[in-house]
Amino acid sequence: MTQGHTSRKTYWMVFAALAVLTVLEIIVATPSMGVPKKPMVLALITMAVSKASLVGLFFMHLKTEQRALKLTVALPFFFPALYAVILIAEAGWRLIR
Amino acid sequence: MSAIATATLEPSSHPVAHPLPRDEYFGDATPGKIGMWIFLLSDAFSFGGLLLAYGILRGGSEVWHHPGEPTLGIPFTAFLTFLLICSSVTMVLAVAAANEGNRKQTILFLALTALGGIGFLTGQFHEYFGLTPGHGLVHEGLIFGRSAYASTFYVTTSFHGAHVLTGTIYILVTLARTAAGKTNANDIEILGLFWHFVDLIWILVFTFIYLL
Repeated sequence: MTQGHTSRKTYWMVFAALAVLTVLEIIVATPSMGVPKKPMVLALITMAVSKASLVGLFFMHLKTEQRALKLTVALPFFFPALYAVILIAEAGWRLIR
Repeated sequence: MSAIATATLEPSSHPVAHPLPRDEYFGDATPGKIGMWIFLLSDAFSFGGLLLAYGILRGGSEVWHHPGEPTLGIPFTAFLTFLLICSSVTMVLAVAAANEGNRKQTILFLALTALGGIGFLTGQFHEYFGLTPGHGLVHEGLIFGRSAYASTFYVTTSFHGAHVLTGTIYILVTLARTAAGKTNANDIEILGLFWHFVDLIWILVFTFIYLL
């Protein structure tokens, strides 16, 4: 059982946010929109992480869980994400140096 | 654990289980729920590993998209993404109905969620092989083993597809057990965690593999 109560209205608001973000992602990624590469990559990653967070926080009820469960789930992602950025940047850097 | 969590969706035929003491750190979370979260964490790292391999291979390649290889169909996959988001909503409504002890609504929303899963799998099959002859990425020349672009695409999306298949079977089994009055709200919530995770991963796969 979830620790707190999340209303159906909240679920529909999250659904609307996910739908709007998906449409925005497609607009940003469409080549004819002419969004420069770097801002596009940054915008797409930000939107994807936001959408994933919305699903985790509201649909998986992490927002209303106990602190220990929140930390158990969230903390292990920090260092792998950091190392992923370093490794991918390193692969790209070897290509252009 | 509260009485609602342990009450079966057919309270007349099953007694309410004896509540566990509230844990100092994990509150009312049941061992089953914590177990699912730990599994999902390890599963997330499996996906993380695949996406990392993709990122390194792509970041270090001079030519990613070789001439003759098809581009990925974004409008169609965007539709599949939307379908999976819709199925997450029906799943969360099934969990809400189960928490209220409403068995009929739980069954209805689980069935709709399973339909979403079946729709996604059909869509993915169509994307790979084409439901009609002459369609599909394989036919268009995206062949596993021929390029890093093709191989990372198939490995990552099929690993996710295997999760959708597993999740759909898990939903159908839980649906049948709910119809037989053998589940409680906690069972539906644990199922929901798995399904939302499948949706969450797809959100990331869609961005990294298709949009970027």
